[in-house]
Amino acid sequence: MLFLFSILLSGVTYLTSTNQALNFLEQRESVNLVLQLAVAVGVLVTLVVSADGISGERERGTLESLLVTPVSRRSIIAGKLIAALTMWFATFGITIPYVWVLARDVGILGQALALGFLVGTLVAIGLGSVGLLISGLCNSNKTSIVASIFLLLILFAPTQLPSGLPQGGFFDVLLRANPVASALAYISSVLVEGQSWTEDLVLLITPLLTAIIAGGALVLAGDRLVKLTPGVNAG
Amino acid sequence: MRALIMIVLLAGVLTGVPAPALADPLNVRVAADPPVVSTVLGGHFTITTEVKNAGNAPTGEILAHLNVASIEGSVYVDPEDWSSDRSQQLSLKPGESRKLSWEIQAVNAGLFAAYVVVVPFGDTVNGNEDLTTSPLIRVDVAQRTTLTAGGALPVVLAVPLLIGLAAATVLVRVRRRRA
Repeated sequence: MLFLFSILLSGVTYLTSTNQALNFLEQRESVNLVLQLAVAVGVLVTLVVSADGISGERERGTLESLLVTPVSRRSIIAGKLIAALTMWFATFGITIPYVWVLARDVGILGQALALGFLVGTLVAIGLGSVGLLISGLCNSNKTSIVASIFLLLILFAPTQLPSGLPQGGFFDVLLRANPVASALAYISSVLVEGQSWTEDLVLLITPLLTAIIAGGALVLAGDRLVKLTPGVNAG
Repeated sequence: MRALIMIVLLAGVLTGVPAPALADPLNVRVAADPPVVSTVLGGHFTITTEVKNAGNAPTGEILAHLNVASIEGSVYVDPEDWSSDRSQQLSLKPGESRKLSWEIQAVNAGLFAAYVVVVPFGDTVNGNEDLTTSPLIRVDVAQRTTLTAGGALPVVLAVPLLIGLAAATVLVRVRRRRA
């Protein structure tokens, strides 16, 4: 997966540097494009791994042996979340050389890396927690993964509109209520529009709330989520 | 009796019903700044126009609209690519002026003219009104290549290669252990 992701980033970086039509973009926008791609793929993989965390163990029949280990259920959940987050960290690690190539000449390398890491980690924690909640609530692993992917598609849909979301009160609320769209908008705001880190900080409220609420729900409901359910194929 | 009614009605029409009001012609002046912009392909810049109501009557609703045209060669210009927000609606009292800022990104290389035209706005517009245009702003956009293939190629090739080699090494070791 990481190999394929590196090929994807290589393709985007090479096109940006050679294609005349893409090359007119300001270099900041190229950095923004690569960072957004990294956050999108990193969060997708984190969500899929976390969506498999509990329901997958149940279906493979390995949850039983996990439950007899001298580890609390909350620790199991924390371990699952950290394991899922390693996918985001690996994705981000692969992105670093590409960001370096694109950002070194415009003096935004440190800013771009710090921004991508902080915002991406925040979104990954939030959606990873949501994935684990879905996984704990679903008896079927397929249902858990499909529900998680659909959730991500819904959250990414506004960012893929040709001209973004329309401007206006309702659409601004819609943007700010969406943890993925608002996080990506924050990255663009700092990197492309040159805003200071604190200027559009309000865009990070939803990703932060998602992480706090979903993480809190995991802590509170952890004992009830990690359980065996009757009728599941253990083989 | 019928003739009397007709006379009364005709008198009412001639005296009581106001003739369609002719809107006062717009008397606005538009100044633009800076007169010349030099930038590079992809560069962002801002121009400012000042719209002043030089007449004695309020302007009512008016619309200031930005346009960009190529003035050299045959470069195709899509003004929407240059600026996503090209119209600003306003109304001015007599003597009042308003500064309008226009955010623009140069998306073609070459020589261009940017200008703002002020038009009356709303359903009171009859057609055939005179328009007021700002002075032309000359926009000189230099070609640039932000990245070169040579600069990006080492990373573009090396990263997948290294990850592929690392993955292959791990796979081989795992298979050897199993064997």
